[in-house]
Amino acid sequence: MRRAINNAQHILLYLLLAFGGFLTAWPFLWMMGTAFKSYVEAVEPTLNPFPKQWHWENVAAVFNAAPFGRYFFNSILVSGTVTCCVILTSVMAGYAFARLRFRGRNVLFALVLATMMVPFELTVVPNFTLIQRLGWYNHYAALIVPWCANAFSIFLMRQAFLALPNDYFDAATVDGCGHLRFLIRIATPLVKPVMVTVALFAFLGSYNALLWPLLVTADESMRVVQVGLTYFRGDFGVRVNLMMCASAIVILPAVLLYFVAQRYFVEAALSAGIKG
Amino acid sequence: MRKVLCAAILCGSGMFLGCGAPREGFQPVDKDSVVFWDRQVTESAEFLKQIVDEFNAAHKEAIPIKVERAGGYDDIFRKVTASIRARVLPGMAVSYENMTAQYIPTGAVAQLDGLVTDPDLGFSKEQLDDFFPAVLDTNRYTDFNGKMYSFPYTKSVLMMYFNKAVLAQAGISAPPATWDEFLDQCRVVKAKLGKFAYAVNPDCSTLDGMIFSLGGEVIRNGIPLYDTPESIRAFEIYESLAKEKLAYQIAGGYDDQIAFGKNEVAFIFRTSSGRPHVTMLMQDRMDQWGMTRIPQADPGRPATVLFGGNICIFNNSPEQIRAAWAFIKYFTAPEIMVRWALGTGYLPFRKSAAEHPDMKRFWGEWDYNRAAFDCLSFARPEPNLAGWQRVREYAAGALRKVLEGSLTGRAAALELQQQAAAILKQ
Repeated sequence: MRRAINNAQHILLYLLLAFGGFLTAWPFLWMMGTAFKSYVEAVEPTLNPFPKQWHWENVAAVFNAAPFGRYFFNSILVSGTVTCCVILTSVMAGYAFARLRFRGRNVLFALVLATMMVPFELTVVPNFTLIQRLGWYNHYAALIVPWCANAFSIFLMRQAFLALPNDYFDAATVDGCGHLRFLIRIATPLVKPVMVTVALFAFLGSYNALLWPLLVTADESMRVVQVGLTYFRGDFGVRVNLMMCASAIVILPAVLLYFVAQRYFVEAALSAGIKG
Repeated sequence: MRKVLCAAILCGSGMFLGCGAPREGFQPVDKDSVVFWDRQVTESAEFLKQIVDEFNAAHKEAIPIKVERAGGYDDIFRKVTASIRARVLPGMAVSYENMTAQYIPTGAVAQLDGLVTDPDLGFSKEQLDDFFPAVLDTNRYTDFNGKMYSFPYTKSVLMMYFNKAVLAQAGISAPPATWDEFLDQCRVVKAKLGKFAYAVNPDCSTLDGMIFSLGGEVIRNGIPLYDTPESIRAFEIYESLAKEKLAYQIAGGYDDQIAFGKNEVAFIFRTSSGRPHVTMLMQDRMDQWGMTRIPQADPGRPATVLFGGNICIFNNSPEQIRAAWAFIKYFTAPEIMVRWALGTGYLPFRKSAAEHPDMKRFWGEWDYNRAAFDCLSFARPEPNLAGWQRVREYAAGALRKVLEGSLTGRAAALELQQQAAAILKQ
């Protein structure tokens, strides 16, 4: 009897989980299906994600509408560079805030955290002004440099370094290890899951950015994939099918990256208590 | 110590961000070309590029024009606002009147009156008379001594789209000419077919168009007029539509056009430039729908709303201003304007376009192709005051309240009047 109840509970649990998973995956499925619908079918308010007739030519239409190949190159280049820079700056700053003792450390850390309270919209104009004055308008530097460090990543790394037992550092010091060697050889490998999370957030944040790249670039050769998506929104409405087709193509790198790093991501999210 | 440190950092950040930088003249974003920040996409963007290439080829001695897609209107507004602070500006940008009204006080926008009437660079009196008056008037800013700070670019008018198939099922053979007829036809559609007759996109321009068509105005000498009998009547029409369940409010986007394409409603009110979109949704069933001027109180004295963007030229250098103006003059020549209209769906806003053979051929292709152009002679612009955008948001909100039944038409009109007056007083 008890076994039967246990089985029923398990079935119910799995059904609930499956339902939750289905609900989560539904927008993704809808996007994939709509990508291959005709325009008229795409704008119908239906829940059916599958097209009555598959319009594979939508893929060609997307690539004909804008130079998505170039956009991909730019996006990968910018996001990749930003990710590397964010890892470097957040590891260094996080370690400094966690392990080094210096005057004003807490004030400085509070100031870094305070930058998280300033909304992006508020910094757009001064940042744009600065980029113009530096002569970086329409250059990769404008897309990369402003995002090379951020408070959230520094905070995550600091928390990860704080969680390391002091004994590790003491033992390393006895063996003649300085801060830099301890950071590179011992601490960094131990916080790898958090680093992967930081990298994922940095990559996705940069890859999904729209407003900033739109503001600081002028030529088509400098644009990124998210800007390309706006090409299907005009005065007369949104070309929903082409927009979804382009979106499906654009999110591929991000999805692939997530699957590759999924283990680290979940591990770090659980240990740091991050909510999605 | 902590306070000192914080103050030092904040001051340093302020200086770094250029808050205390001395003001200087505006510089062009590109010294070698006149950059035009535009919002056209896909086919119309290609078409514009083609026209610009032709202009550049024909004006090799001048600084070339370079079109850059800068996003939607909101994005362009942000980009221009940030550029004004940076003192580095493009040659010109597409702009709604309320956007231009916010740029003008910064000194960034070139005043065009001198160029428009310049004997060498400008238009002759005959040429100026060839423009429909409203399209020029909307670019003269009452807040700034009635001076012209922008020039018409992508123009369209508010139209009524009617679904012939739905009307025929209800036994109606012609679209309504007056608002009373409109309400009657909505009632017939509801009674005979049991469906909503009108999908409402709650929007200030549509409301303003109704008020104009009822013989009213929305502003005079800086005072809003949403409490006049005509304005109250417009709101009461919506009240009747909602109470009798003749109309419904769309969730957003272009849902009204989608419902129209699926023969779910008989009427929608939208800009004439939405025609290509509706054509796509109707899947080329051109015999089953039409577009005509919005219903009127007095069909003998019609009125509707003029829509669309303009171009403003920025004050970055005399050479760039001259080159930008030369392009605008080229672009608004009847020949180019007709090509632009036929290629994009926007309206040609010079009267002589009516005589162009290509335009005549286009009008002959479908009974309703000329309807929007014919509205230009009586179309009226909406106010181009700096605070008007906020009034627009309140107007849309007032319409929503009436459609949801939380306010009567009269109460909504009076509330909007108070809100608009308070905003404009600021």
